[in-house]
Amino acid sequence: MALAPLDGAITLDQLSSDPYPIYRRLRAESPVLRVASTGRTLLTKAALTKAVKDNPELFSSDDPQTPMKPAFRAHTLMRKDGKAHFVERKAISKALTPKRIKADWGPLYEQLAEDYIARLPRGETVDLFTDLCGPLAARILAHILGIPEASDEQMMRWSQLLIDGAGNFGWKPEPFAASDAANDEMDALFAELEPIRRGEPDGSAYSLMLTADDPIPMSQIHANIKIAIGGGINEPRDALATILYGLLTNPDQLAEVRAQEAWDKAFEEGIRWVAPIQASSRLVTEDTELGGFDIPKGDTVMTIQASANRDEELYEDGESFFVFRDKNPHQAFGNGPHHCAGAHVARRTVGKIILPMLFDRFPNMTLPNPEDVVWKGFGFRGPINLPVVLN
Amino acid sequence: MIKVTYVAHDGTETVIEAEEGTSVMQAAVSNDVEGIVGECGGSMMCATCHCYVDEAWEARTGQRSDDEDEMLEGAASEVTERSRLSCQIKLDPSLDGLVVHLPEEQL
Repeated sequence: MALAPLDGAITLDQLSSDPYPIYRRLRAESPVLRVASTGRTLLTKAALTKAVKDNPELFSSDDPQTPMKPAFRAHTLMRKDGKAHFVERKAISKALTPKRIKADWGPLYEQLAEDYIARLPRGETVDLFTDLCGPLAARILAHILGIPEASDEQMMRWSQLLIDGAGNFGWKPEPFAASDAANDEMDALFAELEPIRRGEPDGSAYSLMLTADDPIPMSQIHANIKIAIGGGINEPRDALATILYGLLTNPDQLAEVRAQEAWDKAFEEGIRWVAPIQASSRLVTEDTELGGFDIPKGDTVMTIQASANRDEELYEDGESFFVFRDKNPHQAFGNGPHHCAGAHVARRTVGKIILPMLFDRFPNMTLPNPEDVVWKGFGFRGPINLPVVLN
Repeated sequence: MIKVTYVAHDGTETVIEAEEGTSVMQAAVSNDVEGIVGECGGSMMCATCHCYVDEAWEARTGQRSDDEDEMLEGAASEVTERSRLSCQIKLDPSLDGLVVHLPEEQL
């Protein structure tokens, strides 16, 4: 067999500004393609992306040589496999189970959503991306993690600096200097809060990890919280903004969603349509083949969930936002051992609490100029503004 | 092939045949059985393939592991003595005819 074809034309700018026409072409013509600008082999069909994620022995997350390590000042669970990953994941996932989210945390999430929605002005144009989606995601996460003392501004800034550092594949010094400063701030806060979360267990992620029978090392407790900060704000923020855009630009569907209270369906469709996390990387551990091409050991493959979620083999007209699909087997939360630990939190907070509450308070909300909404991102994607009129 | 019956919360029965070695979760997902989500693909990371093993089959499906027990604690619906994560039940000939009941919700 041969190596996958090599593309030298696709640029990172194209992938960041509007990747979907490119993915559509690749699904039809080159579902396994080495893309020079990314330094990765891109996989754009659902069967390929799922097969890779479900086979962690062959397609490993364990890659200590990525900028994630200096950005987080730790080798984190995102970049581990097997038992090492399982132990650290289990330590934090106890705070994120369906039962805890629903029974123990539900009332608090509702209160936080109410507070943040109540302060939005009626009758004015408001950028919901900056005024609601980001801050509310940050506030909810701060409580889940057990660091509510951190401000919304801190949570959002830390998150972005961690992401910028982890994505610093050019290994420039400035992003690491910035993530170092953020790490110092976080470490100081965690240290300050440790005796309280240990002495008065509150079911938060930090508290559960500190008071576990057989706790993981403190360095990994810190790393886990940072991973959750880096990976737990942009996604619900972008999911909410995307779903709102989808509903506001499809008033017929919005009416039907309200009539049927199908907010959970709207949630799933939004994250299928534009997955907040569009792509993931895996290191190939043995010579293998994918889609009829040789994939050598040491190669890095990139699963494009964004493209898998529009795969013609699974979806009729996957390019369109359509809430009432018969089936929606999307991969927005990934597959396999690294399946999103925050999936239940996101479904509950965004899908079951925030969306219905927002449309209940502003039943005649409109997006007068959808063309003004700017979408951006290759690894992470969503609108970066959402100017709506609240009524 | 091994026969498995899934009884939904509303009583609807779905009977499928699966190959030996597949899990009760995989068999459900690949046959589009409603009520088993199995998002993590069998890695014991999501607790969305919760099922209740029928009383008649309880002895044959084996015991829950400690890790499975911990993950089940977080399942969305009530957990009973017969609760299992269906990704952890591998089908072999001794389970031909297995009956599992599905919870009201997985998410």
